[in-house]
Amino acid sequence: MSSLALMRWLESAPHRYDAGMRWLTLGRVSRVHAAVAEAAAAKPEVRILEIGCGTGAITALLVERGARVTALDQNPEMLEQARARLAAAPPGAVTWIERTASEIDALPAAGFDAAVAGLCLSEMSAGERAFVLRELALRLRPGGALVAADEVQPRSTGQRLLHALLRGPQAALAWLIAGSTSHPIRDLAGEVAAAGFEVRSERRWLLGRLAVVVAERPR
Amino acid sequence: MRVRDVALEILQTAFRLIPWPTEPGLRPVGEPGPFSPVLVTGNYDLTVRRVLRALRGVDAWLVVAPAGGINVWCAAAGGHLSTHQVVTALKTSGVEDRVRHRRAILPQLAATGVEAREVSRRCRWRVRFGPVYAKDIPGYLAGGERKTDAMRHVRFGLVERLEMAAAWAAPTAIVTGAVGALLRPSFAPPLVALSLLLAVALFFVYDRLPGPRRLLFGGAALAVSLAAVALAGGGLLAFAMAAVAVVLLVAVLTFDYPGTTPIEGASFFEQRHWRITLDRERCKGVYSCWEVCPEACYEKREGVRQVDLAHDQRCVRCGACVVQCPMDALSFEDEQGRRVEPATIRRYKLNMMGRRAVEADGERPPA
Repeated sequence: MSSLALMRWLESAPHRYDAGMRWLTLGRVSRVHAAVAEAAAAKPEVRILEIGCGTGAITALLVERGARVTALDQNPEMLEQARARLAAAPPGAVTWIERTASEIDALPAAGFDAAVAGLCLSEMSAGERAFVLRELALRLRPGGALVAADEVQPRSTGQRLLHALLRGPQAALAWLIAGSTSHPIRDLAGEVAAAGFEVRSERRWLLGRLAVVVAERPR
Repeated sequence: MRVRDVALEILQTAFRLIPWPTEPGLRPVGEPGPFSPVLVTGNYDLTVRRVLRALRGVDAWLVVAPAGGINVWCAAAGGHLSTHQVVTALKTSGVEDRVRHRRAILPQLAATGVEAREVSRRCRWRVRFGPVYAKDIPGYLAGGERKTDAMRHVRFGLVERLEMAAAWAAPTAIVTGAVGALLRPSFAPPLVALSLLLAVALFFVYDRLPGPRRLLFGGAALAVSLAAVALAGGGLLAFAMAAVAVVLLVAVLTFDYPGTTPIEGASFFEQRHWRITLDRERCKGVYSCWEVCPEACYEKREGVRQVDLAHDQRCVRCGACVVQCPMDALSFEDEQGRRVEPATIRRYKLNMMGRRAVEADGERPPA
């Protein structure tokens, strides 16, 4: 139970994504979302760039905290769910963009106070992720924060073993149902640092399998 | 390396119903330079290896786009190889730093998912749809990037039929063999043989059967199997096992037969009655439909820049023509004559059962 391998199946059905994610993470996903929103929107009125916003779970928390969010997702059906979720948001609070994360280079340089990547970096290939992280750094003002939450490989050998045992059957099931599975990132904080960020903190949930990395674009 | 290649080819042919992803990114082929052609394909390992094999002796850049590790046609139809993935691959693979042009050649079967004009608008790459099959790429490049009719059309000949048969024979033989062996070891070999024979028979005769073809095919398979059990002097259990196996195997094998072949559209839903229609008023002779139709449904009209939907009975509803037509001259129509807008076809892809999440009037069905 509770590996994120089945996430890919949920993505193929946006209307059951949220409930499914809660179930898969034993409810931890809400706490992760809250931690991400808290780190990204510490003050009201911040301009936030969110990639892979999905059904808008984090977007909604950011808007609640008074942030102005530019939210991207490439999946029109996910965006439909997100728009419906934030139908009552104040006008101008969210700009929805149906684009891939690789297209953020079209957005203004240094135009954002913070960037959020919730459970989407692990869906990218390594090359794509490096490109997107570098571009995220360029979209942030100096001193701006990147908050990345994703499925990662646990650090300790014991946890990795346990993880493999728990994840194997689910990955196989996800493979059968959705034809794909998620790919936990080996070293999220390291990749973030390699893209030019200074890593400030890393918190882990779910036996070390879900990480929230907070980093800063150097001033 | 050669041995590994052959082993992978066999393994992936036998189990091609599951994804075989390979790492997306840029692969130099031969000794490419800044003006060498840029080819794009999906990250299906079997395809990437076949493309690399076909390109021996050619200098080119191969951009492997993330496409869920499945074949190009299914990935494109299912939204796994769409404008997004192609834009992402062109931008993040590093190819932009290596070449001094912005022209990419995509597999023709990607045309149902990738909007050429949208790619060009979003990342300034001009996309052309090359041949359907990788082995035609060298000829296509040598011929000034012009496709012959043969390069444009899908085939379902001996090799393709055998490949599909192998893809279904391997997993069904493993399952029936295992179940048979559990019941009684002597059941395993005949059940494995039955699975192999049924899969091969299916892909060689099914599309030629008339009328209630599932009944005909299943009936014949049952009769032959029971006769074989009788000849072998099998007991009651053997007869029962054979009957159950035939019924289950035929049900499984024929379940998504149209979706497994390139000559029939997936057919579970009311959408199998959708008809491709051409609005003559809007047709300005761009010929993108003629260029991307894998079933040769279109013909260029004589003496006027327009197409004729000359062979619409061949249409498998892949939607490539609808997606590419810049004039929105093509659309689907349901049995009641309701139009499905091109924008809807571009937006909503097929699910694994070949169904689009839209009704004929373009409305989304309740979730």
